[in-house]
Amino acid sequence: MKTIKQISIFLENQSGKLSDILTALKDQNIEIQAASVADTTEYGILRLITSDQKKASALLAEKGHLVNLNEVLAIQVEPDTAAFADAIDALTQGGCSISYLYTFHKDGKLVLIIRSADIQKAESVAQAKGLTLIQGWE
Amino acid sequence: MNNKYWNEEIETMPRKKLEQFQVERLKKTVEIAMGSEFYAPKFKELGITPESIKSVEDIKRFPFTTKNDLRATYPFGIKSVPLDKVVRLHSSSGTTGNPTVILHTQRDLDQWADAMARSMYCIGLRNTDIIQNTSGYGMFTGGLGIQYAAERLGALTVPAGAGNSKRHVKFITDFGTTALHCIPSYATRLAAAFEEEGINPRDTTVKTLIIGAEPHSEAQRKRIEEIWGAKAYNNFGMSEMCGPGVAIECQEQNGMHIWEDNYIVEILDPVTLEPVPEGELGELVLTTLNREAMPLFRYRTRDLTRILPGDCPCGRTHVRLARFQGRSDDMMIVKGVNIYPIQIEKILMQFPELASDYLITIETVGDNDEMTVEAELAQATDDFAMLQNLTKEITRRLKDEILLTPRVKLVGKGVIPQTDGKAKRVNDLRNNH
Repeated sequence: MKTIKQISIFLENQSGKLSDILTALKDQNIEIQAASVADTTEYGILRLITSDQKKASALLAEKGHLVNLNEVLAIQVEPDTAAFADAIDALTQGGCSISYLYTFHKDGKLVLIIRSADIQKAESVAQAKGLTLIQGWE
Repeated sequence: MNNKYWNEEIETMPRKKLEQFQVERLKKTVEIAMGSEFYAPKFKELGITPESIKSVEDIKRFPFTTKNDLRATYPFGIKSVPLDKVVRLHSSSGTTGNPTVILHTQRDLDQWADAMARSMYCIGLRNTDIIQNTSGYGMFTGGLGIQYAAERLGALTVPAGAGNSKRHVKFITDFGTTALHCIPSYATRLAAAFEEEGINPRDTTVKTLIIGAEPHSEAQRKRIEEIWGAKAYNNFGMSEMCGPGVAIECQEQNGMHIWEDNYIVEILDPVTLEPVPEGELGELVLTTLNREAMPLFRYRTRDLTRILPGDCPCGRTHVRLARFQGRSDDMMIVKGVNIYPIQIEKILMQFPELASDYLITIETVGDNDEMTVEAELAQATDDFAMLQNLTKEITRRLKDEILLTPRVKLVGKGVIPQTDGKAKRVNDLRNNH
């Protein structure tokens, strides 16, 4: 499948928790490509795309964090709103729901990280619609 | 010879004969306790003499003994024999007042070791086993009590003691330990220590766990057995009665046989102190029948349990106690509702999304009591809605069980405070507590 791995970390609302995670990654020279936080007043989920997901997830688990790895789509489009809208349109028309989405810029392009309830279907719809899927960066 | 019983005659004694045996021992115990400054005047007042005891029913004539009595007579006020006959004492920590002291003669220690050895034999341990004890060796009876019993059984005994999980991991690995004695929360933590070393606890030589000294649910036991790929047997003891070795589950794992040759068992309504109807929940009240330094009569254990009806397929005739439903001491009254921590634990254990640690906090907010239940997640997820639904569902199920709505807070690993002793489950911060 043309998907990438995303790291999700359970964050209780505790001061210093995020710093711990960032420091640990920094110390191992792991670069963060994109991050997103979904939160309530009590806890949050930190979702990360890094330069080395395997190493990052193992490292954070070892530091005592609750870590989960799952598949998400990384769709690369031109860095403008029109291209963004087209990509979302294509998925919606293909019958895919979007659970969550975040974006980042890389190499002059816009990258959309998308999770859909049915990730396999989302992937095949994206392929069929001619969207550029990224399988990871080295 | 591989007999099924450590002491077949005693363990399978027909009820009638067992009761007669209890009567004889009760007479003897009264005779010994006439030497106690605490009991002698009470017996005199109530007309209790060895000769006046005709049946087990006579236990109802005896006065109750409470933990407060032990504190008030600290340290040696209840002793029945001169101190020169006493060879050891054990003591509780005394965090809430005077500690309590329990005295032992050499005979008491021998009988205690024999009872706990019988308990070990009952769950299938033999002299070929290697038994590692994770209890502290000191005033706590779980250290020496298990040590002498395992030696009595003839097993190779590893007195590793409390704490230092890494060392436990090394000993288990190096010595090929086959059985562990530990509190249930430590069974889980030690398993985690193995996993940190990259060893699956199921791949170790450990095949039996003796767990006790901490309330736990059936679900928690099942989880421990699953993690370890071993059998975990619930063991009951209390220092007032000697220590570990008072009651244990047999291999049927359905209720703990309490050794009735050593104790008279009563299940009483904690308020009226009258016997509850057969098979119903009440406070366990015990009278020692085989101790001499410090026999205790009708000791109120504060543990809530019931006697399981019917005969046990294992052939032992000694009654079986159901899993303890908390302690009358542990009971929290929140907004007028009586709640036991084990009720909450039972619900939390039904969620595979949760790990085994939890903490109940009660505080006064305005004029109200508010309860917060912090529950440790077993794993992370990217799915935010799942966590929100999980919180809702836990809240709903807890409300069904305890009849009030707690605030449920999911937490990550290591947030709930841990000590090497017993896990703290309740944090009562109310102004009036």
